[in-house]
Amino acid sequence: MNIDIDINFSDNLEASVDEDDEIQLTPAEAIALMEEAWINEKFAPEILPHKLELVECLLGQISYMEDNLRSLNSTDFKKIIHQLEVDRLRFLISSYLRTRLEKIETYVMPILDEENERIQQGVELYLTKQELKFAKDFAEDLQHHFDNITTTRLPREEWNQECVKPNIHSFVFLKSKEEVEGIVIDDGNDEDGDLVDLNRGSQMIISYKSVANLVKNGDVHLI
Amino acid sequence: MPLPTSYYPSYYSIDDILATQERVPCKFLVNVPKMGILNPSAAETDLEVGTSLELPLWLVSEMSTGRQPIVQLELPKIFKQTYQEILKADACAVDLHKFNLYFYELGSYVKHFDSHGDVHSILLHTFKTRFRQLLDLADNSISDPSVQQKLDTLERKVFKEGCNARTKLNEWLVQSGVTMEAANMVVNHKKRKRIDIQGLFDAFEFTNMMHKSVPIVILAYKI
Amino acid sequence: MFCEKAYTLIKELSRSEDTLPPYNTELVTAVINETKHLRDQNEEDAHTSNNDDSNAGTSLLPTVRIRHAAVKRNVRCLLAYHYNRIRCLRTMRWEFGSILPADIKSNLSASEIEWFSRYSRTLAAYMRSIGEEGVNLAVDLRPPKAMYIEVRCLTDYGKFELNDGSVILLKKDSRHYLPRAECEELIRQGVFQHID
Repeated sequence: MNIDIDINFSDNLEASVDEDDEIQLTPAEAIALMEEAWINEKFAPEILPHKLELVECLLGQISYMEDNLRSLNSTDFKKIIHQLEVDRLRFLISSYLRTRLEKIETYVMPILDEENERIQQGVELYLTKQELKFAKDFAEDLQHHFDNITTTRLPREEWNQECVKPNIHSFVFLKSKEEVEGIVIDDGNDEDGDLVDLNRGSQMIISYKSVANLVKNGDVHLI
Repeated sequence: MPLPTSYYPSYYSIDDILATQERVPCKFLVNVPKMGILNPSAAETDLEVGTSLELPLWLVSEMSTGRQPIVQLELPKIFKQTYQEILKADACAVDLHKFNLYFYELGSYVKHFDSHGDVHSILLHTFKTRFRQLLDLADNSISDPSVQQKLDTLERKVFKEGCNARTKLNEWLVQSGVTMEAANMVVNHKKRKRIDIQGLFDAFEFTNMMHKSVPIVILAYKI
Repeated sequence: MFCEKAYTLIKELSRSEDTLPPYNTELVTAVINETKHLRDQNEEDAHTSNNDDSNAGTSLLPTVRIRHAAVKRNVRCLLAYHYNRIRCLRTMRWEFGSILPADIKSNLSASEIEWFSRYSRTLAAYMRSIGEEGVNLAVDLRPPKAMYIEVRCLTDYGKFELNDGSVILLKKDSRHYLPRAECEELIRQGVFQHID
């Protein structure tokens, strides 16, 4: 599935992404980043740090483009092309957010636990405020449903509820953006992991756990 | 758009529950009062030390662990020497379905009771050897259905995913377009309604509509 | 043998992919009763062996352990039964929308119906909270390839208003050339069929 979107139809479009260090991004760069985030999220077994700023900036972009499109005549050929671009962009964002929702639902308990730990330690959060609310509501609804079945008839302590965890040792394909040395291969066996180096642009299949940090800090991306 | 998850049985996994229902032989190490009902061929209320029974895996694994094991698990015959020899000779020729419906799952549980590690290596050997055949099979799904009958549950899953991947790839190669379709459940729901009316069951079409997911792993192996 | 009923419950679910069999109240109750019974027996035996140290040769501990294993197994099956039904319901929310067909609804337990509406609410609240105006995540499921597509109408749907304000009449077997974005939901619901 290859989506190459390129917004160049308006010169005065300037998108800025307020990350820690306030990088200025052109729309095309923002979309490229979004594509990468989307593919990473799709292939990583666990949930990745959110990209709220990017998503919001692109959503703003979409409504800006749609406003522009409304002023065009519907028989204008340009309109069709631009509308298609908007649609593609919307698909990209929706699909990205849907993938995250699915992970939140499937792994709701471990995700909430880890997020709480992050809140307590005051480190970077993985879920957006809205996603966290969704996760909490979802967990509560599930608990409520299980309570309905069991606690009235079975005491709670009998069902030590176990949760579904992602398999962080599953294998992923990646491409390196930087030179990285000395990755410890950790595939869940107890043996001491071998080391491997990555050259810029090289591709590899490897257990996710070994490269989780590199995916999160952007040194490599999944393919 | 299911998540591409790797195989990882969870507490709620239906397949894992079914696999742990398989019976394995075990021998009682102690007297167990009031548990005569576990032995259908005896009328006594108590179970005597030394009794040999075939019991579901979930029960045997609970009883055989801990500081004071109640039973001693014995390897099921399909994992014993004779059968290992058969698998070593030509794993592809074996009707694994007849061996056990959950050959690999069962194997990966009982391998912990095999101190020589033979079960571990025979599982790996069997899967590796048969995987190539499985790939060929998935590529030509119309071929001899009797071969499909010889797969165990895990292999059937891989086979099904492989067929889906092949169909998707073909679709994409031929028309490179993505046709929008009615949702799976909506289609099935309508079908069942039609079946209710006509009393007909179009099995072929029905199975065609089942399950749509792109198994990344299978495709990846092919590349 | 213990836990046979719980196994039947799971087996029943495993036979139907993509569909939900009727909620099996009878079996669920039976499993719960068996579990309760096992627990009661265990409590009794634990009590006896506590008060009676003389018969050390025939300890009741293994008996209690076996029953406890059965309790655990029953609980696992029960929760798995309900959990997997919820997963299926969840997919239905995405595919059918927030209103379920009556014949599917009749297969659900009261608690499942409640869960479904709670989930619908949670999901809707989330979708409203994205960005400034909210994003409907139930559409844009496939990457778009063309702006306009040809569709065939499969039912007598009636009037349908397009975003530009024009109204078209959707009759069975009528064909239309429409903006892709506006067709998607109707295609998902099986009103339209996408013609290549």
